[in-house]
Amino acid sequence: MPQESYVLIFGYIIGFYMAWNIGANDVANSMAPVVGAKAVTIRQAVFIAVILNVLGAVFIGSHVTNTIRKGIVSTDILTDPHQVLIGALSAMLAASLWVNFATWKSLPVSTTHSIVGAMTGFGIIAGGFSIINWTKLAAVVISWIISPIFSLVVSYLLFKIILKLILSKENAFVRSLKLSPFFIGTTVFIVVLSFLFKTPLGKNLCIKASDALIIAFIVAIFFGFAGMNLLKRFVKESNFDGAEEIFRFIQIGTACYVALAQGANDVANAIGPLAVIYSLVKTGSVGATVPVPVFLMLFGGIGIACGISMAGHRVMETMGKKITTLSNTRGFSVNFATATTVLLASKMGLPVSTTHAAVGGVMGIGLARGIEAVNFGVIFKIMLYWVLTVPASAVISMVLFKLLQVLL
Amino acid sequence: MRVPIFEMFMTSPFEGLQEHAEKVKECAWAFQQAMECHFSPKCKTFEEFRQEIIQIESQADVIKRRIRGHIPKETMMPISNFLVFRYLREQDGVIDAVEDTLDWISYRSTKKTPQELKKDFALLVDSVIDPIEVLSTMVAQAREYFKTYSEDQRVVVKDIIRKLRRQEHEADRFEDIIKKKVFNMDTDAVSIFHLIRLAETIGFIADHAQNAGDMMRAMLSR
Repeated sequence: MPQESYVLIFGYIIGFYMAWNIGANDVANSMAPVVGAKAVTIRQAVFIAVILNVLGAVFIGSHVTNTIRKGIVSTDILTDPHQVLIGALSAMLAASLWVNFATWKSLPVSTTHSIVGAMTGFGIIAGGFSIINWTKLAAVVISWIISPIFSLVVSYLLFKIILKLILSKENAFVRSLKLSPFFIGTTVFIVVLSFLFKTPLGKNLCIKASDALIIAFIVAIFFGFAGMNLLKRFVKESNFDGAEEIFRFIQIGTACYVALAQGANDVANAIGPLAVIYSLVKTGSVGATVPVPVFLMLFGGIGIACGISMAGHRVMETMGKKITTLSNTRGFSVNFATATTVLLASKMGLPVSTTHAAVGGVMGIGLARGIEAVNFGVIFKIMLYWVLTVPASAVISMVLFKLLQVLL
Repeated sequence: MRVPIFEMFMTSPFEGLQEHAEKVKECAWAFQQAMECHFSPKCKTFEEFRQEIIQIESQADVIKRRIRGHIPKETMMPISNFLVFRYLREQDGVIDAVEDTLDWISYRSTKKTPQELKKDFALLVDSVIDPIEVLSTMVAQAREYFKTYSEDQRVVVKDIIRKLRRQEHEADRFEDIIKKKVFNMDTDAVSIFHLIRLAETIGFIADHAQNAGDMMRAMLSR
């Protein structure tokens, strides 16, 4: 068997492991509010996450990936295919090792940022510091601060609005039913825009921003009123619990979207470098972008699904027991803030992690006095590892690159 | 597993406060039985009830320590840590005062309460039973308030606090009547000291319950 085939097999294993990690940890993070608020059972959450992640990866996920993820490293480095092969392999292995280490030590790190760091490390060692796009790297640093803060503000304001207009009122159920078209409509508006702007399938439709806004608005109005009529039929009237029940249904909708988007976007983290290796082995050259075959997307989706059902299930189970104070209105606020932040950040070209946004969302509810107790101390620990992730995976990637250069 | 959101959620101190309030409520029945036993010439089970209270008090202490030890400085709650700790201290003061009352009686268990004071002591005991029991309802209703911040729910909690104040006032009145009667009794100084202190210790139960109510009122302030 030629040496390249061994590299490809090795790439498959590491790519699958990366996907597995995303399923085991990142999906559990994004499904936390919906499981914590008891909007769905753990079994339902796993089912939703598995199905929608695979569907998202295969049908919505990008079929073309950037060779150097997030454009951190200049494409000048791509002139030597052998170097790119070693680089992609060492970057993927470095990110996997860092994520593996973080999982073992229970450290909160972002898979996206691990790949970004590893690519930076490979770029520095292969082409020197000048090859790094420092502006892009600065955007990553900015995202650590902007995404949680923005999400915090959105969830804080949204929860205060729900509190003021619905929960604190005597007839909370009637008011929540009356206002449900607004909340459903706003959620659908964000979801449609996210789909059109953020997912590769939406991007392929090439719809203008103004048209996208009009489409999203019309769809939002339709779903808002249709949703209200369905809720009228299915939700039993009871004051406080009835209001929460209405938000339970809206929250399930946002959770489904998060799972679908995660499959569509995050699978590229695991599969992107693998697609580069695959392309190099099959064609012997590589450009600024490489095609991602459907079977690779399915491979990544299955990896995520395995992670969810093998380990994510356990995480969600613990979560369901631990997060007892999160109601549907609070959970909805967190989900909505997360989705909005991710949409806006990606429109601004900032590489944000869904987890970072969700953490900010929970903090916002805490500041709005919506949760009985939130540990803000964790945020310092989380920030530390956000900051550490890029240099740590970069250093690991550099070492691995040098090692693999000698071996291959 | 690295689940940052998971780490942000912590066990709510309100759950602990509720559990502690249930322990306080649990001791109301045993306390009433012990006092009735003390006033009855035939009853021999006072010590059993006292031991039951000691056991409940130590269980409540475990809950108290658990709450105190599990609120890191960075915890964000609908109310400040300081108020939670102050409230807990007062709620715990109720159960401590119940235990102190039975301990005080046990130091002079052979001497029974004079016949002419039995009715007044019974009234005093009755006036502190309700405040002991109402604390768990107050905590449960306050938790409901923090879910919705509804004005109606706030009024429900404020009514309980008002009721606690009235009951404390009532207990003070019975305590004063007993003190007056004791100081005008023709008996030895040790008995007078024992009876006065007994009335005061029973009164402390209502005092602590009212203080807990005041702390709760501070928690409700916007």
